[in-house]
Amino acid sequence: MLIEDLHISDQELLQAADGELPRRRAGVVHSHLAACWNCRARMAEIEGAIADFVRDQRESFDSQLPPSDGSRAFLRAQLAEMADLSEVHSWRWFLRLIRAPHSGAICASALTLVLVCGLILLRTVPRGGDASLAPLGRAALPERDLTPGATRSVAMSEVCSMAHEDVVREVSDSMRQEVFREYGIMNARAGDYEIDYLIAPGLGGAENLQNLWPEPYRSQTWNAHVKDALEERLHQLVCSGDLDLHTAQHEVAADWIAAYKKYFHTDRPLTLHSQIDWVPSSDFAEITRTRIIGDRTIWTNSARFNLL
Amino acid sequence: MIPIESINELSFPGAPASAHSAKPSEIEHEVMRLFDRFRDPLLRYALSFGLSLHDAEEVTQEVFLSLFRHLQMGRSRSNLRGWIFRVAHNLALKQRYANKNRCDTMEPSEGVVEKQSDPSPNPEEHLSSAQRRSRLLAVVQALPETDQNCIRLRAEGLRYREIAAVLGISLGTVSTSLTRSIARLIRADGR
Repeated sequence: MLIEDLHISDQELLQAADGELPRRRAGVVHSHLAACWNCRARMAEIEGAIADFVRDQRESFDSQLPPSDGSRAFLRAQLAEMADLSEVHSWRWFLRLIRAPHSGAICASALTLVLVCGLILLRTVPRGGDASLAPLGRAALPERDLTPGATRSVAMSEVCSMAHEDVVREVSDSMRQEVFREYGIMNARAGDYEIDYLIAPGLGGAENLQNLWPEPYRSQTWNAHVKDALEERLHQLVCSGDLDLHTAQHEVAADWIAAYKKYFHTDRPLTLHSQIDWVPSSDFAEITRTRIIGDRTIWTNSARFNLL
Repeated sequence: MIPIESINELSFPGAPASAHSAKPSEIEHEVMRLFDRFRDPLLRYALSFGLSLHDAEEVTQEVFLSLFRHLQMGRSRSNLRGWIFRVAHNLALKQRYANKNRCDTMEPSEGVVEKQSDPSPNPEEHLSSAQRRSRLLAVVQALPETDQNCIRLRAEGLRYREIAAVLGISLGTVSTSLTRSIARLIRADGR
């Protein structure tokens, strides 16, 4: 029988090109292609059609794809929020555990374990280190590339004659939308974010995209209310002559959480600055349930806290 | 070209061996790496369902948030690429269904063709190339939906078994579908 009588089917040619044939059969097809011009020509047509399809797909869709910076930043913020929530969820699990029957012995064991771990941590964590707090603050810090901070030329007399409303001034609606676009945030709700100045107007901060970012109200610890308190504190220090304006601007732009810790002498926000409260447990349970369905899980942006 | 061996199981260097022992920050880091790798292919795939860019971006975000939960709960890490595309496929279908119910669908062929950019300097070549592409797109859009999904997933680098898992069909169906689609593309191009 002539080799031409045994041409390879299109399906096998495609499988061979895709590396999907069993090894032995792939060897047979390869040998056949070496001998048969007809099948080689057909293989070339198949490869050509694939190349055309891939090129056209890319040309059709790639021109529509925006840069990934904004959506990347948004995803990072969302992931940080989820990580925070999982920590909170584990505490709720613990509270349920201690209310369970026969929980006394379990709690005593757990408490002993916690004490031992605490002692070990105290010996191993460097003094002044705040590594355990770092994850809580990530969502509250702006993306450096998008919001490095920007100032305007301002006289001390202007800074110190500002009313409270100007020190923590709100931005215009159009600017809010621009900032959301910059960070790739779509359908943001009023209670989710404060569009905040990295360097506040009361400290000479400029109203432009380099100095504005969407700061989540819902961050468990380092939220927009805490930053507002820092801004007022720095403004007081600058105007009383206890702090240089440039230093205040630099510190708040570099890491406002570190500045808060420095000027309030604390590792955590003071209670009166964290204006958040828990939602009822039933609401929390609903949110949790919607998030653990599995492959079809959709994260909802529902608020976890009520503003006081 | 992405090395197949490294991507099939997606055990990235530095990725935690067990999700149970992985800290949230490690999982976040891993998810961000996967985002960098698959964001564009997923967006293209979601757009191929006729979704608007806004909807496609939302689908993509939701895929990676679900991935975070998936890894955090210590679920299977085998073939994460297939998992990612399967979730994207399901979410894109769901979004398209929701859009349909709102009578708010866009016609994918019109949107795509209008936004094509062609670097060809020659007007005749430009016209010819645009016509050829338009014809190719028409052929693809005339394919049965499963065939369209198969060929688009294959174009994004998925192996046959991954495509079968994403679409819930057999390996044989994937192979037959791809062969049929390629044959139609060849015929349409007059080869």
